[in-house]
Amino acid sequence: MSDRGGFEALDACVHCGFCLQACPTFLATGDEADSPRGRIELMRALESGELAPDDPAVVVHLDRCLGCRGCEPVCPSGVGYGRGIEAARALLATKRRPAPLARAALWALTTPGPSRIAYRLARMLRATGLPGAVAGWGRLRFAMGMLAATRPVRNAEWGVRSPRVTADSARRTPHSALTTVLLFRGCVMDGLFSHVHDATMRTLEVNGYAVREVPGQVCCGALHAHAGLREEARRLARANVAAFGDGDGDEPVVVNSAGCGAMLKEYGHLVDEARFAARVRDVTELLAARGPRPGAPVDVQVAYDPPCHLLHAQRIADEPYRVLAAIPVLRVVSLPDAAQCCGSAGLFTLLEPAMSRAVLAPKLASLRTASPQVVATGNPGCLMQLGAGLAASGLRAAARHPVELLDESYRAAGYYA
Amino acid sequence: MITAGLVEALAGIVGARHVRTAPAERVTYARDGLPTHRRVPAVVVLPGSREEVIAVVRLLAAHGVPVVPRGAGTGLSGGALADGSAVLLVLTRLNRILGVDPKNRIALVEPGVVNARLSVAAAPHGLYYAPDPSSQTACTLGGNVAENAGGPHCLKYGVTAQHVLALEVVLGDGRVVELGSPGGEPWGPDLVGLFVGSEGNFGIATRIAVRLLPLPRAVRTLLADFTSLRTAGEAVSAVIASGIVPAALEMMDQSCVRAVEDSVYAAGYPRDAAAVLLVELDGGSEAAVTADAETIQSVLREHGARSTRTAADARERERLWQGRKKAFGAMGRLSRDLVVQDAVVPRSTLPDVLETIARIAATYQLTVSNVFHAGDGNLHPNISFDGRVPGLKARVDAASTEIMEACIAVGGTITGEHGVGLDKLRYMPLIFDAESLTAMRAVRRVWDPEERVNPGKVVPVHACREWSGIGTRNAERGTRNPIAPSSSTFPIPTSALAP
Repeated sequence: MSDRGGFEALDACVHCGFCLQACPTFLATGDEADSPRGRIELMRALESGELAPDDPAVVVHLDRCLGCRGCEPVCPSGVGYGRGIEAARALLATKRRPAPLARAALWALTTPGPSRIAYRLARMLRATGLPGAVAGWGRLRFAMGMLAATRPVRNAEWGVRSPRVTADSARRTPHSALTTVLLFRGCVMDGLFSHVHDATMRTLEVNGYAVREVPGQVCCGALHAHAGLREEARRLARANVAAFGDGDGDEPVVVNSAGCGAMLKEYGHLVDEARFAARVRDVTELLAARGPRPGAPVDVQVAYDPPCHLLHAQRIADEPYRVLAAIPVLRVVSLPDAAQCCGSAGLFTLLEPAMSRAVLAPKLASLRTASPQVVATGNPGCLMQLGAGLAASGLRAAARHPVELLDESYRAAGYYA
Repeated sequence: MITAGLVEALAGIVGARHVRTAPAERVTYARDGLPTHRRVPAVVVLPGSREEVIAVVRLLAAHGVPVVPRGAGTGLSGGALADGSAVLLVLTRLNRILGVDPKNRIALVEPGVVNARLSVAAAPHGLYYAPDPSSQTACTLGGNVAENAGGPHCLKYGVTAQHVLALEVVLGDGRVVELGSPGGEPWGPDLVGLFVGSEGNFGIATRIAVRLLPLPRAVRTLLADFTSLRTAGEAVSAVIASGIVPAALEMMDQSCVRAVEDSVYAAGYPRDAAAVLLVELDGGSEAAVTADAETIQSVLREHGARSTRTAADARERERLWQGRKKAFGAMGRLSRDLVVQDAVVPRSTLPDVLETIARIAATYQLTVSNVFHAGDGNLHPNISFDGRVPGLKARVDAASTEIMEACIAVGGTITGEHGVGLDKLRYMPLIFDAESLTAMRAVRRVWDPEERVNPGKVVPVHACREWSGIGTRNAERGTRNPIAPSSSTFPIPTSALAP
């Protein structure tokens, strides 16, 4: 990394403005200060010292950035916006402590000891059915909706019947040599979405991968880096690199959370671990590389909503569609604004609720028109945000990870029998 | 004077959260798409409706405060910049398409509607909005009207002025006038035509009625590449001489092609070509367009094209166009600073002018990339440089002026579509004499007698002062020095504009 700490990634900006319409916050406010180009102006002024990192107006507009990086794939000059905003946030963090709410959330969600208790309590609360019952628009009710959205969904609940399991249907793919992959469990994914991990392992195994668990791994550090806590992010990154044995093996590291995947792929810049970063694969990348193997029909209408950290940060566009295409009968409906952020953005939904809901609103409007039964997306934050939004606006659709759908298709096909 | 009381009153109209006074927030509005100019506005106001626009303009008129309208800030002449004495009126929130009338092929929009979104909205009716500036995915129709925006397809379909039917305009004093009519010009002189391209000097358009065109039934997009810039320039004239009017005829030189090919908009242009031409043909029937495309292809080959190819499908066509339209943005790959020029020359002089530009670039040791509307002879030399290098900006300015003088020398003019704004003020005396400039200013004062709307742009007042004796404003700095309307040498009554 250069001595400019990431700000150099902004040098290519020539102010053309082609990013404006790709920015969810600019679309919500129409304000240049809430656009990528305006924020680059702020970041440049921060770096030059023209503006101070404790200037409240600077802080407000940089905090309001979702970090969705929707501006990057439309930028003709290839400005590294994501790297710039992380550099800027690290600079802001030198002048202030993170918001108490952000601190508390990071502590409860990512610290090994406390998070285990927090997730257990959350799962107990989830099991009561109360969060789903009170889900709505207020700050607390939306949070309850987010928790409810983490609950494993069964077919019957969303009114879709799958064919009965046929006992003698094909067994696992006869891949001659199994490829070993290492599962990255993460924090929120492990605490609230362990059913997605299960589905990930099962579907990968059907497609010729042997999934191995790796002890000693920790949170990826994305939430910390986005909050400007770079040193904490680096500490976590080094722990992960050590756990996954950098240099010893070249086994792919499989991730089913787009946010974590994007972060792990950034370890080259964060802690100079490019070799580790090169091993990281999203689960849909691995599945698509093998086809994936078709399953049994699932009669359901699905809207795929790509997570920003998959589409924009990792530039993975087609693979999730190929995973869904392996499910016969399943119909994918397209959303006009699919490439746009849902407003989740990690802790953003908790810290900037007003902007987060404003960004979510157009997405929900187009979902109302498309009226799918399932909204598929491969990131815990998006699953929770969309799930809560669907519940709050009374839409009868479930938010689910694409591999859950494939898993169901495989179960129906009897691959697990 | 902008006082705390005025700011409070503005907040009373648009809501406190839509008034920006913090230095950091104002700094984000200090540049448009031509970042070499920088002016920090005193206050930024983001009204949410036409009623709010009217109320704001009236309030500012009562306080004698200058106002500068701004759309998406993608303009390329510094036209939407306001200095510390002025309020910047940002129209991005007025972004509703008020109606699409497919039978009469008319759309009514607010000024903040993004150009490309109108075509998307019209597409289900088989219609589109023809003027397509390269920034169409970002720029607003209000800005298009102010600048009389062009674009690749204006070769066949005409610039913005040919597509605006009627306007509702808020004058500098807050009066609201209606110009034109969706059904055609209702009375005498073409006031819509006068307003379109006035660069924010005549008032603020709050409602715009535009013509929509049926989507062409057949389209062919050709890519031809050349081993010399001169041959490519000559081929342009040959295409026009064939009698076929292409929908678009665009040229990119090697430096530009390489910047695009390095970007996410890589279109498959040959990187080793000295220049590529992009020619689009469209029409009512496949057969006719195919025949035209074949004719043009042979013309191109006869005039030195190394190879030509036709886009196989809509997707490839889109790719070829995206590369062209995002070329300006891709220049950031070459260097951190960029100046884009905009000049028009007689088409037949293109080969010579391109060589002259290359020579000027070599003399000043600068990288110049050309991407332009060849069919119109509308050049856009882009000069890439690093503004941190001492003395380099002065060299860039000198080269810009020399390029402009070369264009004027062959019978050209100083802007094709980007407008004069701030950037080209210095060139105005090169093509207009004192009396013409004075007359232009007089026309402006019919609409805006106090010259309070977008002051200091378009007509170089500092020079004008000597000729006409009016005003003492420093146009270069935009410093305000209010002029009593009675001091005008052209006391043209404005009552003619009253509704």
